[in-house]
Amino acid sequence: MAEKLVIMVTHGPDDPELATIPFVMAVAALASEVEAVLGFQADGVRLVARGVAEQVAAPSFPPLAKLLADFRELGGSILVCSPCLQSRGITAPDDLVDGAVVVAAARFVAEITSATNSLVY
Amino acid sequence: MTVAAATDLQSITANKIVDARGSACPGPLLEAKKGIGAVSISQILEIWSSDPATKTDIAAWSAKVGQSFLGVLPADGYDRVFVRRQK
Repeated sequence: MAEKLVIMVTHGPDDPELATIPFVMAVAALASEVEAVLGFQADGVRLVARGVAEQVAAPSFPPLAKLLADFRELGGSILVCSPCLQSRGITAPDDLVDGAVVVAAARFVAEITSATNSLVY
Repeated sequence: MTVAAATDLQSITANKIVDARGSACPGPLLEAKKGIGAVSISQILEIWSSDPATKTDIAAWSAKVGQSFLGVLPADGYDRVFVRRQK
């Protein structure tokens, strides 16, 4: 995959549509042979807390848990903002879905500047 | 992109059919990705979808990934989308 798309997710389960669309785009990217990275910041980090995706479904879209499973199966990367997790009390290693990597700002900067393009939701 | 005429599409017997009816975006696209890997090069995959956006989505995807979009036949409440595997 020569191209890379980084998608930043800042909306949580309280806004199911804006929580879901980044996953749709990321799965479509992977299906299109484009590397995809989902970066979670602000309330978006709650989406990758274990058990939360199963409770999110936006009308006319697949359930978030299905999209998350597809994204992981296709090899997408999940990066999660460390201070955003701490401020929400999501601190235990087992609190996050499998494959999620906790990072800080410099990693996001590196991912975005090395990407073909980036999106922010 | 060369799209086949409807009469030509009607004469096609696909090597594999994937039924993505009832699946919301990006479901049909994922089924196309999986399905294209299940046919040999030069063979034809047919995707059934009840999502009206699938026909343009699969056309864009085919161009992006180097497959050959052959066209669409309307059916009873769904579309039959044809793609030839090129690589």
